[in-house]
Amino acid sequence: MAEIYPIGGGKGGVGKSFITASLGTLIAKWGKKVVLIDLDLGASNLHTLLGMKSPKIGLNSFLNKTVKNLESTAVPTMIPNLFLISSFHCYMEIANLFYAQKLKIIDAIKKLPFDYILLDLGPGTNFNTLDFFLTSKEGILICTPEPTSIENSFRFIKTVYFRKLKQMMKKNTFDSLFKNTSSDLKRSGNNPPDIIEIVLKHAPEKEEFLRNKLSEFKFKLIFNQFRNNIDATLGDQFESICNRHFYSIFQFLGNISYDSRIHDAIFSKILYIHKYPHTQSAADLKKITAQIMSKIPSASFAKDML
Amino acid sequence: MKKFDGLNYYEILKIPMTSSYFEIKRAYKDTLSLYNEDSIVTYSLFSNEERDKIIEDIQNAFSTLTDDQKRAAYDQMLVDSGQVETSIPSREKQYTSTPLSSTHASVNESHLYSRVKEKFLTEDVKTLSDEILLKERLSGDDLKKLRKAVDVKIQEIQNITKIRTSVLKAIEENRFEELPPDTYLRSFLRSYAKILQINPQKVIDGYFKTISLDKKTNDLDSK
Repeated sequence: MAEIYPIGGGKGGVGKSFITASLGTLIAKWGKKVVLIDLDLGASNLHTLLGMKSPKIGLNSFLNKTVKNLESTAVPTMIPNLFLISSFHCYMEIANLFYAQKLKIIDAIKKLPFDYILLDLGPGTNFNTLDFFLTSKEGILICTPEPTSIENSFRFIKTVYFRKLKQMMKKNTFDSLFKNTSSDLKRSGNNPPDIIEIVLKHAPEKEEFLRNKLSEFKFKLIFNQFRNNIDATLGDQFESICNRHFYSIFQFLGNISYDSRIHDAIFSKILYIHKYPHTQSAADLKKITAQIMSKIPSASFAKDML
Repeated sequence: MKKFDGLNYYEILKIPMTSSYFEIKRAYKDTLSLYNEDSIVTYSLFSNEERDKIIEDIQNAFSTLTDDQKRAAYDQMLVDSGQVETSIPSREKQYTSTPLSSTHASVNESHLYSRVKEKFLTEDVKTLSDEILLKERLSGDDLKKLRKAVDVKIQEIQNITKIRTSVLKAIEENRFEELPPDTYLRSFLRSYAKILQINPQKVIDGYFKTISLDKKTNDLDSK
């Protein structure tokens, strides 16, 4: 079974595509077969980060049925073992994917014969992004150590929860419950609503079921563009707070140091970890890759689980 | 979102029940800075009311756990309500201050433990302790006699239990007016009894009976 890691984060420009490309490359170097799927629909550019011309086939070929399955849309990159499914040539209005098409893609992703599948998601919390994020029980959340980005991350987590609950409630015919809940949610105004509490108010008997379902989900956190002057324990604090106040499991994977050469590398269309393999940021990326692959929980994570 | 509901003060501060004052203080500072409105991590996670409630809980935890009497009462409450299994093993190590001295103390503790155990093998000590425990009321003199018989110095009890020598002396010399409040005294007597390896409950019950008898006598006198 492939390990699927959706890579998201509420805010744009935090480095989701850069990290997807880098982690994919590093995992492929360990001899694993990896595919990156560009799901930033309508704004895809993962191929550029990988130093490629836009591939002719991709998600579009799958959706218009010119190929027989999603696997055949995966094109090889310059890195052995690393493949890309691009969405660059998809029709202009791809960002507003039809629900049936989305289900078809999600279903096909789960069947892809790779060791690792990384999904590069778009910013924000639209339904596509959320549903792709929920393809797997584990997701990677990219954040920068800035209040705005952290704020968006919380909103992202809460919205993922809401979407997940909505899916569950539909599945379990909680329809009427959902209607009551929705009206309460609308009343809660601008504050990110406390979904669980509201749902529980209407269906206390579902509490354990809902909590169990949400606790199956794992969020892995990465802080990108980490500068020296920032509190180094921020990631651990974030992990600890999330584990305490949300219902899922959170694991902080590490910081990636800020390096202005990352922008240079993107301009020159050469993958940063190849252009500057001996920098701090490259070392950070390698460490995070090892964490993802070894599945050894970080020290603080293990401590929290006790 | 989960708040602090159902967490006890130790869990709120994320510290073990055996934490020293300094550990509690450090944990309090860390926790407070995490939930502070300036905290980059949490400022956007909670509403103002939620934050106020959380900070109030943290402050209550700190003020209770750093007050020896309140802490003893709180611990007893946790035990009585079944939230923690038993206070006795944790209580002994509870008031040791730093990791260094706690290892030190535990070495002394096990040494003292085997020493007292050895004494109990002699007929004299055995008879004396049986005699004392059979009494309905138990006075400070009884405790002192037994302590001398097993050759434990009052200073040694202080080192392990962190109960001040002056309090231990007041217990032994039946100076009841100088004793701490009941919950606290109960835990002191328990620690004391554990060192002398006699049934703590009997010591507590017997000693409290002596106190109440003394109180009654005083009341009669004043009439």
